Amino acid sequence: MRRTLDRFLTLLAAACAAMTVSVLLLIVTAVVWRGGTAISWAFLTEQIRLVGASGGIFFNIVGTLILLATALAVSAPLAFGIALTHGVYLKNPRARERLMLLLYVLNGVPSILFGLLGLIVFVLFLGWGKSWLTGGVLLGLMMLPTVTVALSERIQALPNRYLEAAAGLGLSQPQIVWSVILPQSFGGWITGSLLGLARAAGETAPIMFTATIFAGATFPQGIKESPVLSLPYHIFILAQDSFDPAVGTKLWGAALVLVFLVFFLSLAALPARLRLHDEASHD
Amino acid sequence: MTKNSIALEPNRSCLPETGSPGILEINALSIYARDKTILREVSFTVTERQIFGIIGPSGAGKSTLLRAINRLLDLQPGFRVEGSVKMHGREIYGGDLDPDDLRARIGMLFQQPVVFPASIEANVLFGVRHHRSLRQAEKAEAVEKALRSVALWDEVKDRLRDSSLRLSVGQQQRLCLARTLAVDPEIILMDEPTSALDARSTEAIEHLLLELKEDRTIVLVTHNLDQARRVTDWIACLCSEGGEGRLLESACCDAFFSSTACRRFFDRLEDG
Repeated sequence: MRRTLDRFLTLLAAACAAMTVSVLLLIVTAVVWRGGTAISWAFLTEQIRLVGASGGIFFNIVGTLILLATALAVSAPLAFGIALTHGVYLKNPRARERLMLLLYVLNGVPSILFGLLGLIVFVLFLGWGKSWLTGGVLLGLMMLPTVTVALSERIQALPNRYLEAAAGLGLSQPQIVWSVILPQSFGGWITGSLLGLARAAGETAPIMFTATIFAGATFPQGIKESPVLSLPYHIFILAQDSFDPAVGTKLWGAALVLVFLVFFLSLAALPARLRLHDEASHD
Repeated sequence: MTKNSIALEPNRSCLPETGSPGILEINALSIYARDKTILREVSFTVTERQIFGIIGPSGAGKSTLLRAINRLLDLQPGFRVEGSVKMHGREIYGGDLDPDDLRARIGMLFQQPVVFPASIEANVLFGVRHHRSLRQAEKAEAVEKALRSVALWDEVKDRLRDSSLRLSVGQQQRLCLARTLAVDPEIILMDEPTSALDARSTEAIEHLLLELKEDRTIVLVTHNLDQARRVTDWIACLCSEGGEGRLLESACCDAFFSSTACRRFFDRLEDG
């Protein structure tokens, strides 16, 4: 009886794993299969034309990269601040737990709510209109929990002997933070940021009515009324109008570029993550 | 009298000279970790330019005592210190003393060498560059001086930019000592600095200790009685009673090792 149950559970687990992998394979194969033909030098370097049926996605790639770079710049100081507060300055264990809980809550906030927040605060209240900066700030806030948790874990894992040795040399706490804690936890920040960016790259809801438009934008000239094009919003709009076969190919091409971007970011995080594991096993 | 007590004959000849006040005076020092007493009412005096040994079984609070002397315990939550620790007659647990300044004046060497994952040069300069602004030439000078004083210069002078993690454990420990010396502390606390080292590296460190006491004071916690006999001038012996560390005796090294009562205690220590 026990053996039968054991075998059943093994089969069930294997089936779940197989299903997950096959869904992933199906999506990737479909995107590569249907989008592959759209990819060309012109597609990557030309502007959008004829409402997406012709031309390329150059400014969509540029826009997405601008949003991601801004998100990185917004999340980094906040993540370092929160992680240091959690790992160094907050002495009360209960307060530390609450801070982490807040981050997990933030992580659970649906992305459309970030969009609404941006609409109310930046677009309407501050009067920025649609702006790349709003999108970057919102994506930065969205990826904040991922970055902060990765950074906090790295700070927690820092061997106490380093801190003792530095303090034993007469270094003050700010000096220890600057010359021991920050350099040693840098890998955690890179890992967290790249994972966060990989997720932020595909977000549509927070930017669709705050930062991005479908056509007619190039490089942003300022902050107010300065939207950008972006890959996810481009896909979103084209997907509603995909009966035209020419549009369909371009749609899948844009999706393939987005998948590649996310894949590239995840891949770039790999060396830092491997080193993290390597160091952890040596401590 | 407890079962561990040692009745030492007072030996006037090896008491510290009158008129040479202690660089460190520890008086009725008790250390508590939350509700538990780690160390109870320990008192002794360390005179300048001597190697002061602290011996005793595991759990007698030797390392905790060291960490109380340079206030490294402050960094660990839950510890409470009572009593008095004076350096040059000034209370170190007094309100106006900056613990970071204190730790620059009382250096520390740990049981395991703690090198930072950086170059040999960066490790030597790790502490001193935060205390003084050094020009490039001064940095090179400081590195050479510190490495020479721990007899490591000739071994590493051609690879100062290499990672310090590539050094042997013995070399790493000497590098840590060089890093401490670069800050120029008056007192160096050493917490079993040779317990992770082989015989040759141990000998090298012991040799260095004897050279260092020419112009510095060293407080050395050691498990190794032979080492204590070889290098220390004065010894404080801690014991553990019901989980509490107490001071059994503090006396000059010769008196300590010639006493039969002490020998019995040492036998027990080595057996246990």
